Parts: sequence; structure tokens; C-alpha cells
Amino acid sequence: MKKLLPIVFILSSLFANDIDFNAALSANYGDNYDFYSYSENRLDLNFFYNDLQGWIQYEYSNPPDVGFPINDIRKFRIEYALNDVTIKFGDIYEFWGRGLALNQIDDQITNFDNGTRGLFLSYSNGPLSLSHLNGNSSIWLFGTDLRTPFYNNSHNMSGNQFQYDWNSFSLGLTQLQSNETHQKLFGDKAYINHKLKGIYGSWIATNADFFFEYVDKVSTEKMDFFQEVAHDSLKEGHGVYGNLNLYLGNWGLSTEYKRYAFDRGHTDFTADDYGNRIELQMMPTLGKEQNSTLLGRVAHNYNLNDERGVQLEVNGSLLDKLTLTAQYSHLSRNNNWQSVTPADWEDSAIPNYLPSSDPSSLPYWENYQEISGFGFGDKLYFKLGRGNNKEILKTTRYFDGQGLSIKKNWVYTDSVEWYDEWYYIDSSLIGIDTTLYNVEAKMWQEAKSFTIPMEINYSFNNNYTFGIGFQYQERTKNNITKGNSRTYSYSDSAWTLIKVNDPDSMVYSRDTQFLINEKKLKTQYNRMIYVTLSKAPTWSFTITHDWTNGFDGPTTVDPYYNPLEALIFGDLKYFTGERNRIEPPNFIQKRWVSAELAYNITSSQRVSIMYGSIQGGLFCSNGICRLIAPFNDGIKFSYSAIF
Amino acid sequence: MLFATDNVVGTTIPDLKLNLLDGEKTSIHELLKDGPVMIDFWATWCKPCKKVMRYLDQYHQEYSEQGFKVLMINQDTPRSMGKVKSYIRSQKHEFIVALDPNQQIAKKLNGQVMPTLILVDQDGSIKWRHQGYIPGEEVEIERQIKLLIQSDSSES
Repeated sequence: MKKLLPIVFILSSLFANDIDFNAALSANYGDNYDFYSYSENRLDLNFFYNDLQGWIQYEYSNPPDVGFPINDIRKFRIEYALNDVTIKFGDIYEFWGRGLALNQIDDQITNFDNGTRGLFLSYSNGPLSLSHLNGNSSIWLFGTDLRTPFYNNSHNMSGNQFQYDWNSFSLGLTQLQSNETHQKLFGDKAYINHKLKGIYGSWIATNADFFFEYVDKVSTEKMDFFQEVAHDSLKEGHGVYGNLNLYLGNWGLSTEYKRYAFDRGHTDFTADDYGNRIELQMMPTLGKEQNSTLLGRVAHNYNLNDERGVQLEVNGSLLDKLTLTAQYSHLSRNNNWQSVTPADWEDSAIPNYLPSSDPSSLPYWENYQEISGFGFGDKLYFKLGRGNNKEILKTTRYFDGQGLSIKKNWVYTDSVEWYDEWYYIDSSLIGIDTTLYNVEAKMWQEAKSFTIPMEINYSFNNNYTFGIGFQYQERTKNNITKGNSRTYSYSDSAWTLIKVNDPDSMVYSRDTQFLINEKKLKTQYNRMIYVTLSKAPTWSFTITHDWTNGFDGPTTVDPYYNPLEALIFGDLKYFTGERNRIEPPNFIQKRWVSAELAYNITSSQRVSIMYGSIQGGLFCSNGICRLIAPFNDGIKFSYSAIF
Repeated sequence: MLFATDNVVGTTIPDLKLNLLDGEKTSIHELLKDGPVMIDFWATWCKPCKKVMRYLDQYHQEYSEQGFKVLMINQDTPRSMGKVKSYIRSQKHEFIVALDPNQQIAKKLNGQVMPTLILVDQDGSIKWRHQGYIPGEEVEIERQIKLLIQSDSSES
């Protein structure tokens, strides 16, 4: 691939007067106390010559923040567009409908890239457009390592799209097929053929618009070790998405519905569950895209294989100064589940098209309200939000039905006396007494959160702006046990009552999953405060303090006490030499402090430097969530420019 | 390579096809027929984008007589693109909104950092680029628009 670079430069020299270029450069470096270091350098070069367009992305990363080291041309594409025909060759990213059949993105923050290297042809004439895509996609997914991907699923794919626009109506047909080489957990591979057929349509009017999409999918496992067809049809599924928006004046109501049923399961899908949705399908999730850090950390892990739901959102403004947003969504799996035994689960269809609230369907609720606006001649900006969510994360067992009590009667046939005590050393079963009774054996994990994000900025006349932001969050995460039984006897094939002689004796217990120094914590409290001073158009300086009182797992250890932390906490002993810096005080273990200076060298060149610590956690972008490793006591430097 | 000077290359904007929020289709050169265009990349979840949009809409209305337009290229993915029109309507924004849900236009114009502003003269030449938004920068944005409009009117 490196051979391409000199060719590009030679061609650009030959046609220098006729070729237009633009370029973007980004360089990111980081190094911290935990040996978390990275160096990422990326150059994007676009050129335009008459009807020809080209794109090259060169990357030198060793190692990158996430992903694999590379010193090569990472992406390239040549496009030729003349009148009604477009031809693309190279790395293709296409998007059909709302992505139920195909939505290709290259998200370098989450290291998700489902683009196709191949050929794209399209023809459009008036209201009609046709396109064809053919090539290979190599999609990497993360395993347990937070920085280096583990699973690779490769697709040899081809697809066709037809769209017809008629006034305010559009109708589209999609067809895609892929031969996938799917990597399983222990390195084995499965070879699967996927066939997707879809239809989408839209209607746009002045005060309303509507969109719908349906995709049908069939997957077949191609062959087994002996080159024989293993299954006629491995899995069949479908996906439905609808979006209706209504507008009245400066108010808008957005309603969305989804039902993705490409597979079903009572728990999370793993790498060994294949044949369901493929990574080329990236569809709407029906959750609020949050821009507050604490709300982002409690984002739902959407299941695009098996989830249905609704979302409503109202946007409006008052007095031309205030913006109001209110959002609600409710999601669940497509089935309720009953654990006949702890290992065997039976599903039953939810009896309508709406999501269920039954814990066995892993429901998720969220609502968010926000008011923001300007005041004092637009010098003051404020934002105040409030978010709630509740989620059933998993069910360990979930049985609610009837069972037989099994009371066994034994007779002792031999005994021995030992220090005036009699011990029975042999016995035999003489009878079993069974009675029908109601069994409830439920264990599930439930998480709730309540978050308030707020922000105020005030701009002074001398181009200075002072801003302060505060986010407050309460979280609970409990393992809940409910019922009159909690164990299952495989030898008797029956749920065992907690109190054998009292079937009506019910228990309900909640066991928190938050800990601090191995002690249980009922509620996790998170607070984040950030203070920004900026001077337009040159620089911006921000100090961020992130604080928690407990962890969802073992307490993290920050072994280094840095001067910024000491300064923020007013720990004078640090600066007078009285503090042992190798064994830092306990209070810094629950806090992350960082300072960042961003400086605009010119209007199109920006540099930023960050020093301090950043708490790891869940980060979501484009519907893809990734656990980010904590960054302890280090420096990050980044430079970006566009030319 | 580091710290290159401003606007060394990339002097002319390519004629890229646009899918507009109202369902219409157009291209960048089509929009340039009336006058200069300010292009901005944004998303509904981007906080600084929303702050600068308020000013860009003002400039779109204020300098429309000189043929000036603001083109807002939205990068919401399918996750949130159903709410784009609702947000625009709630704010009564009048500028032109195009949809770019898988960042194809953004990649061709290097607008992946949001907000990124590109000021294009009527002849297609790129006059100014800017990444990010610090409160107060709207003054410089308006200054650049005025400079371009004044130079165009003095040339004509």
C-alpha cells in the first residue's frame, strides 16, 4: 500500500494546476504512570480532478489508543462521477434507509469499522437510482482487552439498492448477501451465508414526516468439517423500524418504534452466537444520544439482535430564548423467559407489538428532560437537565409456576453409640411424599440511576468566557432474589423450597453490587465539576474534578499522587515534603483530576495538552459502546489541522 | 508536516451532492449560484455546535440579500437522525440543512471535528476554515463573512 503514496505525489505534481486538494492532519500522544502510552498520527488527503475524486488516509500509530499498530495507507478510494453514473473503487462506506440492511461507518473512537473494500456502481436518472456494492469487509470486535480487538469477522459481500422518489414519497428496495467467516471464542471459525431483503419508504410534508423500514434475514451455516451442509437454515429473523414526526409551530414531536428480531436469548449474545444480525447492519437504537459524561456512563447496552421498543421526544422553544426537550423510551427483548431449570430457559412471545415490563424480558426505561437558553443579551448560557433510567441487566433464574414438593421419608437401619450419643450410620428410603404447590424462584440484577447535568457560561465584553458545569448522579445496582425457592434439585427434577414445610414463606432480598474497600455500598454517588476559562478566539483552559464514593467491582488503585491533585485538594503537606507521594492518601483513590489547555494556533490548527487522570468506564458512540481503560496521572497531547 | 501554515492547499470546494432535510436534492455548486456559502458540520448531541448555530442562523438571515447562505451538514447517525428536523423546527432555524449520516461529505471536506466551519466564495474558492467553537468566536465568524461579502461587492 505504501507504493500508492509516491504515485499520488507524482500525479499531483504532473497535474498540480488542475488538481484541488484538501487535507486533515491529527496527531495524538499519551503517556501515563500505568504505562498506558500511545502515539497516533493520521493524514487524510482528498484530491479532486474534474470528474475524478480520490481519498487516502495514511496512519502511523505505534501503538494507537485502541486498535492495532499501523504504518501504512489505512484507507483509500477513487471515485469517478459523470452525469448519471458514479463508480467508486477502494474503501466504500454506504448507507441505505436507516441502516437495517446496511450502514457503514469508520468510528475511530470506538475502533469500529465496517466499511467494504471493493467496487461501487450507481446510476441515477431523475427519480430513479440504482446502486451495486461488492467487496470484502474485515470487522474487528473487542474481547476482554480494552485496547486491542480480539474477534475478527470477515464478510465477502454484495448488495443492491433501488430507490424511486415521487414528489414527497420515496420507496426503496435493498438486497444484500454475505459469506461470513466468523471467529468464535476459542479461535474456531464458522462459515455462514447471510441473505437480507429489505424495503423502506418515506413521506415528507410540511407538518409531518414518516419513515419505515423492514428487513428480512436468513442465514445458513455453509458447511462443517466434512464439507457437508450443517443446517438448511441456521437462523431466520427480521427487523422493523418506524419514525413519525409531527410539527406544530416551533414544537416537534418525534416518535420511533423498533422491533429487531434477528435472534432471541434470555441473556447477552456472545461471539459463539452467530448467524444473527451482522455488523454491516447498524440501525437506530431508540435511546437518547447523551452529551453529559455521567449519563454516557450509564448508557444501555442496546441489543440489535433481539430488542423492541418505543421512543418519544418533544422539542420546543419558548420566548425565543428557552429550548425544552423531553424524552422517554421503553425497550425490552421480544420474549418473556421462564427458567424451567437454571440451565434450561423457555420463551413465550410478548402478546403485542409493544415492549414488556416483565423482568424476564430485560426491560429498559429512560427519560430525560432538559431546559437550556440564553439571557442577559445572550451573554449568559445555561443548561439544566434531569435523567432517569432503570434496567434489568440480567436474570440468573426466573421461574414462576407450579411444582411438586418432594418430602422423603427415611428409616435408619444401623446405628452406633459414641460417648453416650447415638449416631445413625445407615438408612434407606421408604417413601416419597409429593404435593403440588406454587413455586416462585427469581433472581435478577437491576440497575437504576438518577442524574442531573447543569452548565452555565457567561461571556464578558473582552472576549473572555467563564463557564462552570456540574453533574450529580445516584446509582443503585442490586442482585434481587424473590420467591419461595432459590435452588433446583437436578436429582429430583424440582425446585427446592426455602422452607420445605411452608410453601407460602416468601423471601425478597436486595444485594448491592457497589463496593468500597470490599465493603458494600447501597448507593453510588458520582459528582463531576468542571470550570472553564476561555478567551476567544485563542485559548480555553478547563479543570475537571470527577468524584465517586464506590465502585462496581474492586476498588481501583491509583499509586501515584500528582501535584495537580494536591493543589486541588489543598494538601499543603505535599508541597512541604511531609507527604509520602508513593503511598498517597486514601481520598485521592476516588477522585480524578485533570487540566486541559486548548490553543488555536490559527483558525484551522488547534493544539491541546491535558495533564492528570481520567476515570475509565463505558463510552458510547454511534450505538457502539466500549469500556475505556482509566488514564492515571499522565499527559495527553493532540494536534489537529485542516488545510 | 507539523504546524503547517493556513490554507496552503484546498482552494476550491468540490461539487458534492447533498440530500436536504426537506427531502430535496441539490449540490454545493448549485447553492453557490446565488453567493457565498458558510458550511458547518454539526450533530444534535454536539454542545458547541448548538451554541454556534444560533449565530450562524442570524448571519444566514442578515446577509441573505447579498446572496449569502449557511449550509449546516448534519452528522447524526440513524441513532438520532429522526430528531434532527424536530430540533431545527423548535429553534426556528432558517438555514439550509443537509444530511450526512455516515460522514461521507465530512470526510471529503475534512469536517469530522465538530463544529468545522468552511467559508466558500461564490466562485467556489475556500476563503476561511475554522475548527471548534469557543464562546465569543462568533465575532470572528461574522467578520470573515463581512470581509468576503465586501470584497465580492467591491469586485463587482
